[in-house]
Amino acid sequence: MSLDFDRKDCFVVDGKLALPYTYFAGRMGSKFITTLRDEKKIMGVKCPVCNKVYVPPRQTCEVDMTDIRENWVELRNTGEVTNFTVIRYDDKHLPRKAPFILALIKLDGADSPFAHILEGIAPEEVKPGMRVEAVFAKATTSTILDIDHFEPARVSKVQVSEPAERTQAPAAAPRSKEEMEQDERRKAMSKKVIITAALAGAATMKNQNPAVPYTPQEFAEDAYKCWKAGAAMVHVHAREDGGMATHDHKRIKDTHDAIKEKCPDLIVNMSSAVGMGKTAEQRISQIIHVKPEMASLNTNTMNFSLVDRKSGKVFIDFVFENTFTMLQDFGKAMEEAGVKPEMELYDMGGLDNWLLISKQGFFTKPYNFNFVWGVAGGQAFRPDAFMTMKHALPEGANFTTCGVGTDQFPAITMSSLAGGHMRVGLEDNIRIPTGELAKGSYEQVEWAVKIAEIAGREVATPDEAREIMGLRKK
Amino acid sequence: MGKRVAVCAVAQIKNDPNYWHLRFQNMLHECFESIMEQTKVTFDMEKGIRTVITCSDDVFDARTISNNGVTDVVGAQFRGEEKMAQESINGLGYAMASILSGHDDVVLFMGHCKESQGESKKMVTNLAYDPFYCRPLGLDFVSADALQARAYMRKSGVTDTHLAKVVVRSRKNARKNPYARECALVDEQDVMSSPMLADPMREMHYYPDTDWAFGMLLCCEERVKEFTKKPVWISGYGSCMDSYFLGDRDLTSNFSLKNAAKRAYEKAGIKDPRKEINLFELSDHAAYQLPMWAEGVGIADEGKGGAWIDEGGMEKYNVNLSGGQLNGNPLLLGGAARAIECVLQLRGEAGDRQVKGAKKALAQAAYGGAGQHQAVVILEA
Repeated sequence: MSLDFDRKDCFVVDGKLALPYTYFAGRMGSKFITTLRDEKKIMGVKCPVCNKVYVPPRQTCEVDMTDIRENWVELRNTGEVTNFTVIRYDDKHLPRKAPFILALIKLDGADSPFAHILEGIAPEEVKPGMRVEAVFAKATTSTILDIDHFEPARVSKVQVSEPAERTQAPAAAPRSKEEMEQDERRKAMSKKVIITAALAGAATMKNQNPAVPYTPQEFAEDAYKCWKAGAAMVHVHAREDGGMATHDHKRIKDTHDAIKEKCPDLIVNMSSAVGMGKTAEQRISQIIHVKPEMASLNTNTMNFSLVDRKSGKVFIDFVFENTFTMLQDFGKAMEEAGVKPEMELYDMGGLDNWLLISKQGFFTKPYNFNFVWGVAGGQAFRPDAFMTMKHALPEGANFTTCGVGTDQFPAITMSSLAGGHMRVGLEDNIRIPTGELAKGSYEQVEWAVKIAEIAGREVATPDEAREIMGLRKK
Repeated sequence: MGKRVAVCAVAQIKNDPNYWHLRFQNMLHECFESIMEQTKVTFDMEKGIRTVITCSDDVFDARTISNNGVTDVVGAQFRGEEKMAQESINGLGYAMASILSGHDDVVLFMGHCKESQGESKKMVTNLAYDPFYCRPLGLDFVSADALQARAYMRKSGVTDTHLAKVVVRSRKNARKNPYARECALVDEQDVMSSPMLADPMREMHYYPDTDWAFGMLLCCEERVKEFTKKPVWISGYGSCMDSYFLGDRDLTSNFSLKNAAKRAYEKAGIKDPRKEINLFELSDHAAYQLPMWAEGVGIADEGKGGAWIDEGGMEKYNVNLSGGQLNGNPLLLGGAARAIECVLQLRGEAGDRQVKGAKKALAQAAYGGAGQHQAVVILEA
């Protein structure tokens, strides 16, 4: 046999190892982790024979084999850097984007340093021996990351002993140049407004507005027009030729790819709702198959019905199921697949549901929310409800908004004034503010651009939108 | 000194960045056929191979019981089959132990690794860490090595320029090795302007992803003439595991390597490695490791790695004439690659890189982040 042969028919199969586990932390580990989580205390164990203090803890001293399991000691949250490296590569197992500093830190009271992340200082400023302090995580992961990171100690031991230094107010932790620049960029850009066009939805049909796209080609054309008009993102539910919403992987991928081919710059946000009566598996598997940059993540089980607005008569009754388990499983699957979730909030309860699940810690920042108004089963648009929702968001989160029918334009106007972003499109409303049928989603985008102008907001390009929402271009 | 074990034949394929068109079974089979041809060994249950040891890794192969994928191509079906899921040099120690204990007298030892298969070798090594204290931080062998590099360079006066010299030389030497991965020749300036990977390690300071497979036939002293006229003898083997947590170790102490080398030297009756050993193959998967391991095996003075490079230590002691691991061998198989190079040298088959009259050679292997586990083998012509 030769290693060199005709490779014309050689085929490579894709595969993946992804296997969830639960690990028992051990009796020592359990106490260390729960104490860290519940009391924000870092514990070590001390060998009574050689006096060595170990952290992370263990039950036997490796020096003299003494059983040390009962000999817990509390360590301080401060310590010194003994060694460090700067991680310059990005990878999926890393807790931060590159570059970040990984340091060996010897806590006050411990004899062995342990590894942790060091922030708030530029890599070239780090010096072995420098004083640092732990910053505890807001949300627990029940791992060493319950210490979120270390940062330069605000008041060092040396400063305490020198009165001249002590009189000064403790300075804010210095941040690296890159971090400050990124923060500045984000701040400047959050003044920019991201316009999204929801091209079709699952229920708007051609008999209501002939411009609703069904085929991949129609989606691509429509997306292109919206992009030209100022949209940075399109939200997509794929359709069959006959107009029915579909969970067929091929059709969805074809639709996604047609848009990306016509308009590579544009962000595609796919629906994980798909349409009425789809199973959880049908809803999430297509997202993982297509891996768009972003996808909707629905936050509560609710009525999602067709009710006549004038008479109150029920045309179609439907319960849109989004259990906590689905919120959790969909969210995790998206985060693992590198698909940024857009959390759909139909009322305040949805936000509370997300806040609860987010305690598991798997959602990555920045968080992006969409306030949805006017669904029969959700809440109608009210400015004070809007502001209440906005104030309840986690710090630094982005929000956009959309409204069904006549709620559409008032809601996005409110959002543009409140610092949020805007979603339009035939999914939500078939008309423009004059009451005429929209010629396409793009005509609503043009209106949104006018609103932005009035509100004094610049329209974000797709790349600026990526920066704001934390997306990775695909 | 105990009884001796002979390496009767070695086989390998060329190291390659990506054998995408070969299954690792193909790669092994190539080596297997070569061993059969060189030794005419059979699978006769009385006189042939009854024990096969393989070396592979479940995560690198993405297959539980990774050896299951190769038993048929290496002739291990219906026979004793054992797997070394650790650095390959330990498989050599294992084969040696089987023979010395009298449990078998002929052992086939085969190994493979296709690093090109996985998206990220760093993710594979991240899984070497516990899920509570280290893994969530993203610690992997690159970051662990980088921490060791900083501490070692400070202690031993090793500079960025020294590391550039190590890289330049490795690639130059590899050009003389027909089995070496083909890496571009570079000069010191190229290396010193290569981007940082994890400070103070640059991208070129770290070995590249590589696919490779090998085979070896080992037997007891009594039967060696049945298989070869040029046996190479394993006269010493030693290994040592250091503490798990990086913070529990003195990263610059070479604790585990010194212990491993001491045991191997004792068994081989070596008192002064500088005088008695003709060539050294060190598993330098990162450039700083070459001078550091040289200190560990005793051919550079403690804390003088930088000066040792300046004084021509690498040439003086014939270190890594093959190009070393830095030029590219799979991480898992660095030790086997080192040992095979020693065998070729001791048989006088090392071509342009031949050390004339080489009688004794040392192969060293390191596994785990920052050289946690170390093993040393002494081979003699």
